[in-house]
Amino acid sequence: MIPFLAQARFPAPEFENYTVPQLQLETLVRDPIAWRVSALLIFLVVSGLCFYRWRSSKVMRLLALAGVVIFGFIFTACPCPVGMFQNLLAAFVHGQPLGYGLLLLFAIPLAAALLFGRLFCAGACPLGAVQELLLWKAIRIPVPVDRALRFIPIAIFLFVAVAVVAGMAFPLCSLDPYLPLFLWSCTIPTVAFLVLGLFVSRPFCRYVCPYGVLLRLFSLVSWKAPSVTAQTCITCRLCEQGCPNGAILPPESAPTSEEQARGVRRLSRLIAVVPLALCLGGILGWIAAPVISSTHPAVRLLADIEAHRTGDAVEAFEASGTPLAQLQNEVAQTRHVFDWGMPLAGVLLAGAVMAELIAQARRRRESSSYTIDQSLCYCCGRCYAACPLNRKRETRKGTAT
Amino acid sequence: MISTRKFLRMLFGGGLLAPFLWLAGKRKSRKAAFLWQIDPDKCIQCGKCETACVLEHSAVKCVHQYAACGYCLFCSGYYQDKRVKFDTAAENLRCPTDAIKRKYIEDPYFEYTIDESACIGCGRCVKGCAAYGNGSLFLQIRQELCKQCNQCRIAEICPSHAVTRVPADQPYIFKRPPEVKT
Repeated sequence: MIPFLAQARFPAPEFENYTVPQLQLETLVRDPIAWRVSALLIFLVVSGLCFYRWRSSKVMRLLALAGVVIFGFIFTACPCPVGMFQNLLAAFVHGQPLGYGLLLLFAIPLAAALLFGRLFCAGACPLGAVQELLLWKAIRIPVPVDRALRFIPIAIFLFVAVAVVAGMAFPLCSLDPYLPLFLWSCTIPTVAFLVLGLFVSRPFCRYVCPYGVLLRLFSLVSWKAPSVTAQTCITCRLCEQGCPNGAILPPESAPTSEEQARGVRRLSRLIAVVPLALCLGGILGWIAAPVISSTHPAVRLLADIEAHRTGDAVEAFEASGTPLAQLQNEVAQTRHVFDWGMPLAGVLLAGAVMAELIAQARRRRESSSYTIDQSLCYCCGRCYAACPLNRKRETRKGTAT
Repeated sequence: MISTRKFLRMLFGGGLLAPFLWLAGKRKSRKAAFLWQIDPDKCIQCGKCETACVLEHSAVKCVHQYAACGYCLFCSGYYQDKRVKFDTAAENLRCPTDAIKRKYIEDPYFEYTIDESACIGCGRCVKGCAAYGNGSLFLQIRQELCKQCNQCRIAEICPSHAVTRVPADQPYIFKRPPEVKT
């Protein structure tokens, strides 16, 4: 143990029948990251089997329950893959340490998305699993509203990325409303999201989660795709109504020539608007930059010092004896990052909005059946249960035995 | 033979992976486990640790480096500034939860110990000890209580940036000895 003397105002007395006790603190703390990574891997394999082979919504529900217990309570919900892109960025920009365990934690769900879709959201993510279990009476959100709200995660993703590069504390970690739940405490956002989750399916996953943006992108090109039923679709729409996340695409018939002409016109109009939208995004980002950079602690501290306000931060700064020039330098760097990063984020967000609009405007491949849009599917299996063809097969099996 | 569509999809997938692989490869430090800890030299005992932690009862506790303690009879970490008199009545004591226990050793010395189950990490005693005493009391994140959040909530708001990441084999930071004045 390292002896220390901060200020020897009172010298240690010499005792006769007393030995000074040692400060007993543990010297090595074990990190269960290897267990966490292996558990995640096993869990994803099991969810893949449940979703693609056994195709049962009940089993998926059980899996979500297991996910809450294992990844929420046994391993505490933090650190989780959702916030890991911040660590990756911080490791790259600021040289923050990042071990292979955390890197795998980030990569495994994305690899799973590339192969099998968003299996991670189904149960291995404790946040998703809690919302999955809580959904009671799903209110259908109108499609345009849903599409508009789905841009929020992209905006959050871009903002978080800029903030992490600027050296702020990971902002996403304080956005997570469900973490207190796993630590047996409660905050106002927790209650709000839990209550909202009773009526809106997966409010956090759909309208907040920035990791979902990555999973959505990766699952766009996923290797294996689920289908509602193995038999020929009778286009009864039951799966579309059964899906609380709006992930079921209706059949697409061959276009009439008039429809095609209208579609081409709309598409060309949208493509013509793209540069304008990008400019607008950039300008909005540029306007937002000074507002957002003023929330950075260093910027706030400098403002406080210049305005001769007192506070804990000012007191700590004065006690530390750091030269003011160093702080000014840091603030200038932060401002620089925000001044370039926010317009860039604005342009990227506008690009994402336009890409989505164009993707919606263009024709999908012709199909005569209801299909699953994998980028929005959370692998809950409700459509399997809703499909009457699946049900019929089960009863037939039942009468046969 | 793979279809053009499948090939394009694979290309897109590879294109998505590439930036992350690149970022992962470029990272500077590959050390695995890092823990949060308070640097007692930077700490100004503002008391935010008490409430900022995600845990109901903060993982920050006061620890006592006995070797530096003066074993004072009138301990400034134990007694309030505005005490009525030097006795153990609650209004005279600094600790709001009576987590500092004292034991008579020999005249006029007392041993002070922290009852960690009662300590709330408010840092009042630390402030008193640093201001008038030897500074042998200091705040540390108790690693067996800490949940190792990816972003410590205390670090987020700590005004003196005292909460930092430390390697797992050095989970605690002790105060540096004062610089030898020439």
